Amino acid sequence: MAKVLIENLYKIYPAEKGRPEKVAVDNANFEIQDREFMVLVGPSGCGKTTTLRMVAGLEEISRGAIYIDGKKINEIPPKDRDIAMVFQNYALYPHMSVYRNMAFGLELRGVPKEIIRKRVDSAARTLGLLEPDNLLERKPKALSGGQRQRVALGRAIVREPKAFLFDEPLSNLDAKMRVETRTEISRLHRQLASTMIYVTHDQTEAMTMADRIVVMRYGKIQQIAAPLDLYHQPANLFVAGFIGSPPMNFFTGTLTAALQGTLEFVEKVPKGQTPFRCPLSPDTSRRLSSRQDREVILGLRPEHLHPNSLTSGATLQASVEVVEPMGAETFVYLRTGGHTCICRTTQIEFMDLEGKTLNLGPDLSRAVFFDPQTEAAIPA
Amino acid sequence: MNPTRSSVPWFSRVALILLGVLFLLPFFWMVSTSLKPLNETMKLPPQWLPSSPQWHNYPDAMQAMGPFWLYARNSLLLAFLNVVGTVFSSAFVAYGFSRLDWRGRDGCFFVLLATMMIPFPVVMVPIYGLFRALGWIGTFQPLWVPAFLAGAFNVFLLRQFFLSIPRDLSEAARIDGCSEFRIFWQIILPLAKPALLTVALFQFMATWNDFLGPLIFLARENQYTLALGLQALQGTISGTPWHHLMAASTLVLLPVLVLFFLTQRTFIRGIATTGLK
Amino acid sequence: MTLGERRNLIKGLVFVSPWILGFLAFNLYPLIASIWFSLCDYSVLSEPVFLGAQNYVDLWHDPVFWKALRNTIIFAVVAIPLSTFLSIGLAVLLNQPIAGQGIYRTIFFLPSLVPAISLAILWQWMLNGPMGLVNNLIRPFLNIINAVTGSHLQAPDWLNDPNFALWGLILTGLWGTGQAVVIYLAGLQEVPEELYEAAELDGTNAWQRFLHITLPMLSPVIFFNVLMSIIGALQTFAVPYILTGGGDGPGRSLLFLATYIYQNAFDYWNMGYASALALCLFVLIIGLSLVTVHYGEKKVHYSDR
Repeated sequence: MAKVLIENLYKIYPAEKGRPEKVAVDNANFEIQDREFMVLVGPSGCGKTTTLRMVAGLEEISRGAIYIDGKKINEIPPKDRDIAMVFQNYALYPHMSVYRNMAFGLELRGVPKEIIRKRVDSAARTLGLLEPDNLLERKPKALSGGQRQRVALGRAIVREPKAFLFDEPLSNLDAKMRVETRTEISRLHRQLASTMIYVTHDQTEAMTMADRIVVMRYGKIQQIAAPLDLYHQPANLFVAGFIGSPPMNFFTGTLTAALQGTLEFVEKVPKGQTPFRCPLSPDTSRRLSSRQDREVILGLRPEHLHPNSLTSGATLQASVEVVEPMGAETFVYLRTGGHTCICRTTQIEFMDLEGKTLNLGPDLSRAVFFDPQTEAAIPA
Repeated sequence: MNPTRSSVPWFSRVALILLGVLFLLPFFWMVSTSLKPLNETMKLPPQWLPSSPQWHNYPDAMQAMGPFWLYARNSLLLAFLNVVGTVFSSAFVAYGFSRLDWRGRDGCFFVLLATMMIPFPVVMVPIYGLFRALGWIGTFQPLWVPAFLAGAFNVFLLRQFFLSIPRDLSEAARIDGCSEFRIFWQIILPLAKPALLTVALFQFMATWNDFLGPLIFLARENQYTLALGLQALQGTISGTPWHHLMAASTLVLLPVLVLFFLTQRTFIRGIATTGLK
Repeated sequence: MTLGERRNLIKGLVFVSPWILGFLAFNLYPLIASIWFSLCDYSVLSEPVFLGAQNYVDLWHDPVFWKALRNTIIFAVVAIPLSTFLSIGLAVLLNQPIAGQGIYRTIFFLPSLVPAISLAILWQWMLNGPMGLVNNLIRPFLNIINAVTGSHLQAPDWLNDPNFALWGLILTGLWGTGQAVVIYLAGLQEVPEELYEAAELDGTNAWQRFLHITLPMLSPVIFFNVLMSIIGALQTFAVPYILTGGGDGPGRSLLFLATYIYQNAFDYWNMGYASALALCLFVLIIGLSLVTVHYGEKKVHYSDR
């Protein structure tokens, strides 16, 4: 059971012929608590996998340090770090049986045969590798993708490591298997109560599994927070846009003076179009007073745009372009002013509304404002 | 094969049959001659088949070659040592060129490729001098020790194969606790069996067929390989007993053919990949 | 260099060390030593004595050397195109939906398995003047030609006629070309079927498809094979040596550079002169390869570039 500390971590690939120097991980600092499920998420090339591989010892650390339980592990080879890793392509040894795949790491560590047998059996039982079919003597080739991934999980479990590392373990599974295995991993986390670091590019996986999430982009950490904090209080435009599906709506506009010292958000639109205006509450106005007459970006989650509502007096007129009924809820794609926005609702059926105009009422209490220059959220 | 493609024109079929017969004829002629009595080999126009097959030509030819079984043993011993040596050393070196990242690797590999342009006759004089200085002339060492220092072509072949094994596997093994050598021995080698078999087959053929090496480095008759023994038979006996020469040639060819037919699939695939890189 | 990089370098060097040893002992040292020996009088039995460029002067005035060089080049220049055409032709014939494709492939491949010693002795017999099978196959055709045109063509006594010995060797080589057939066939089978179908829809005929699809797609394979054949042809030794019963043929018509190196080194123990010859052979190989690379690279079509 372990605490992982990442301190001023850099990965720099030196310049080579025809390729400039590349900073893959740029001064990462964070701590993973004992028994925490930490997810590193971001678009491809953001440095999340490189960070994980540095924790595993598969990638050299250019600068900075990684500590496991207070012990600096920079120079310790992977096998002595007491970690286990689950790979994207499973990385099962094709010439070994499922049993040997799981036992191999223990054999190399000189664990007695009976103990290996016990641990493998128990892991196999937990993962459903014994029932309904006993898969232990099969070769990986004879398994389905989901089964292979479970063997890969088993290989990690039997080691009883201080920390589990996952490198996009679900990306090769089909949609249904992915959801199943996702729950499986969450269940394992609860059951094993161990530290897990999980890398994915899929924000849904991050949101559903993580205790906390590290969002990365271009090698830099954007925000570290619990899933719902990330969702409701994104630190910047990138996080706001990356987390949540469908993504947050953004409106660029100016804050102008309105009645009684409050401010009003006025959307910037091409000439001739009617801007979306919304008066801000006295509280919000006070908070944003320093930004009066300056440009801001208003971010609103799709579920905070209410169709046909007059909640705060502000309305947004938009024409309906596409309606996607999902069953429990409906996504409505709208065109307004100069761009499109998305509204997510459980209220009514919108099937026949395509092409019609709709009044939308924003729930401004949930709105997030961003500085267009720094792209950072304006603090509450 | 795609059945929708237009059918094969008749002249293609005829050409194939004709060429096939032409390519088989020398084999037929070799075996046919080897079973004829001496006088029938000289007949004009030639007689296609022996009037009655003279099976004793084979033991006779072996007798004429002298210690045939000793030569066969020498050839086999050398082939075995060469196969073992080249398979392991080439795989070991290929591992270094494919599964490890180190500064200067690509430069070294380029040099390795370049050495394929240096044929043996170019370097045989100093190599002879070297082995002479070591006191190895007239022993088997010059014919098998070099095999343990990896062959450029085999390294090239195995490297291509090793490169196709996912990197993940090595990394998983590293985390499982394997040393580099263990990854090579327990993960990569077992996965590379088909490629290793190909290299082993090629090396067996190369050693079995080698003529120049034994010609230069061996001195005494009791060290001769089959190739040298057969050449000696060709040189020593007068009156050219073609039936014996053909029988002996068939005997030298036979193990190669048997090996080929046993491993045809691997063999053909191996040849095909060597040219396609 | 970081600690990790240094560790990787050491690991890498350990793994390639057998090759490095082999390279030093059997490539680098011999090449350098050859240069030194070629400037010496050296018989192996005694220490080399420095002569300066004398071996090269002798070589320049040695008609036998020129003969060997000429034979070597003619052999390469004639045999390589011939075997390339033949093997591509056979591969194209084989790359059709015919029954027994595998059997034909085996038939064409088998001769390339025959050990040099068996191959040479067999073809010595095949090419025998009066009794050889080759002449017995040719004679009926010659008779027809003679009857029609009134000429007096005779089947040649291949290996005993300086004008034909080299052709006999080339014929032997063509029989053993099967390895290339297998390689070309594999190359042909890699060409995507859609390309042919697209071209067929574009209204091309079979010959145009061969010219504009097959050849370009096959060109990297051809290039690689030709390069390897050049290196192989220039070092040819065993087959002509055995074909001639351990000699160099009538009028030295089967004397090649490799043979001449062998004769000087191990018949006359003139290692200095042999080294000079070896370096000439090396230069010839490098030269011809570079020429091939220079002209070949431009014409070769790499689909992944």
